[in-house]
Amino acid sequence: MENTMRETDRNGQEAVVQVRGLCFARGERMIFDGVDLDIERGKVSAIMGPSGTGKTTLLKLIGGQLRPEAGTIVVDGENVHELATRELYSLRQRMGMMFQSGALLTDLDVYANVAFPIREHTDLPESLVRHLVLMKLQAVGLRGAAGLMPSELSGGMARRVAMARAIALDPMIVLYDEPFTGQDPISMGILVKLIRELNDALGLTSIVVSHDVQETAAIADYAYLLSDGKVVDQGTPETLWKSASDWSQQFLNGEPDGPVAFHYPAGRFRDDLMQGGRAR
Amino acid sequence: MILDPLQQLGRKGLAFFGRLGRAHLFLMQTLTGVPGLLLRPGLVIRQLYSVGVLTLLIILVSGLFVGMVLGLQGYNTLVDFGAEESLGVVVALSLVRELGPVVSALLFAGRAGSALTAEIGLMKATEQLSGMEMMAVDPMRRIVAPRFVAGFLSMPLLAAIFSIVGVYGGYFVGVGLLGIDDGAFWSQMQAKVDLSDDVYNGVIKSFVFGFVAVWIAVFEGYDTVPTSEGVSRATTRTVVHTALAVLGLDFVLTALMFGD
Ligand SMILES: Nc1ncnc2c1ncn2[C@@H]1O[C@H](COP(=O)(O)OP(=O)(O)O)[C@@H](O)[C@H]1O
Ligand SMILES: [Mg+2]
Repeated sequence: MENTMRETDRNGQEAVVQVRGLCFARGERMIFDGVDLDIERGKVSAIMGPSGTGKTTLLKLIGGQLRPEAGTIVVDGENVHELATRELYSLRQRMGMMFQSGALLTDLDVYANVAFPIREHTDLPESLVRHLVLMKLQAVGLRGAAGLMPSELSGGMARRVAMARAIALDPMIVLYDEPFTGQDPISMGILVKLIRELNDALGLTSIVVSHDVQETAAIADYAYLLSDGKVVDQGTPETLWKSASDWSQQFLNGEPDGPVAFHYPAGRFRDDLMQGGRAR
Repeated sequence: MILDPLQQLGRKGLAFFGRLGRAHLFLMQTLTGVPGLLLRPGLVIRQLYSVGVLTLLIILVSGLFVGMVLGLQGYNTLVDFGAEESLGVVVALSLVRELGPVVSALLFAGRAGSALTAEIGLMKATEQLSGMEMMAVDPMRRIVAPRFVAGFLSMPLLAAIFSIVGVYGGYFVGVGLLGIDDGAFWSQMQAKVDLSDDVYNGVIKSFVFGFVAVWIAVFEGYDTVPTSEGVSRATTRTVVHTALAVLGLDFVLTALMFGD
């Protein structure tokens, strides 16, 4: 809590997304165990952590698709998990999300995919929809691909289309799930640049969830490191690299051994060898 | 050790009833999405095309063959009693009361039902449904409800087409090939097939089967384990469960309708 106050004072800005004491479990396993986050308006915030820490889960919690065991998530002044369905849907119109897979509708072409949220939520005449769609596609450099089907796109293009769709309704916040994973260096560069530029040009607030440390750090104004259900470190990218925590150092520098051991927990190597047969 | 099979049984039972409960909640949610479709008939019409029209060909071909087989078999039996003029009645009654609704429901499950399950299941596995939710579009209303309505409406039509084509198949064999009197074939059929007893009951059956078949198909799709293996298993389950449900219900309905 104190942390929030300081943040807010430092920048004279309020947090658009406030996560407090978030707990979430999948079966027996606690995915989040008391997470606090503040996402400032107008900034690109990064949430980094190894695979399987629950980064996607966190985005789904923010979008109200999952319900936390405990804790609150406030987005733009509204407590996401206390909203009625209708209010939640109206809040979601102010959020854009880019899924890791792109999640494009496979039976619609690129143009119709970007037009989809506009057509669903507005009664704009088709000529205006066309202007909006072409504008968004132009912003991500894919106006020429309007007629292609999702199956004809490369991975990087699919993500850019998903990006165009995420900003189709001019949202306040855009959530990016692993935007850089599995991209070649050029697409990676394009996506990095686009996230930053769209954020600044359209006055968005961006949340980038990723385990690609370098790329994410390059565009983030502020970053959180998640591990084992907790925020283990936070700060601007520059301060993070000076962090004293061993875990953060290992994660940020990609070292194979450290607090996260190279070896999966096992008995003594000697015992396994002596058994002769199969290891248990 | 003796507890293990028991525990397994209990777990399976719980899973089964849990699923059954989910299926009913799902149905309720689907039905609440139906009135909204009046404002967007285009969604249903597109699905009517893919669900109904694409099943049409297999229904036409199967109906024709089933009718022809009925014609042959019926003739062979009836001719022993010198009653081959009644072939029209036999063919028409078998089709209208039983084979039309049942066989077209089975074909529907194999052609349209499995396709619906695979489509919705793949949309789930590729996060398209999740993506829609995040775009503030309810997939129950946008994806499931139109498919449900389209399946429900097309099933009775398909069953009717099946029966009609079947009757002509029987006519072709009986009158065309085996030389039964043309007039007798039709006039006996007209006299003995009752509109309310036979035709209406057949139509009721086809509505019930359509409802169940499309319910199973969309539920299996929506409840899919979102992996490629999950989708393929759900598709198989749709066909198997629909077949069992249709045949079981057919017995119950027949007993209720023609039992006394
Ligand atoms: N639908 C689900 N059911 C059960 N466990 C899940 C489900 N989705 C994710 N998990 C588990 O939750 C954990 C966090 O998943 P996720 O948020 O996808 O991680 P990340 O995006 O950080 O890689 C993982 O261990 C995963 O196995
Ligand atoms: Mg993920």
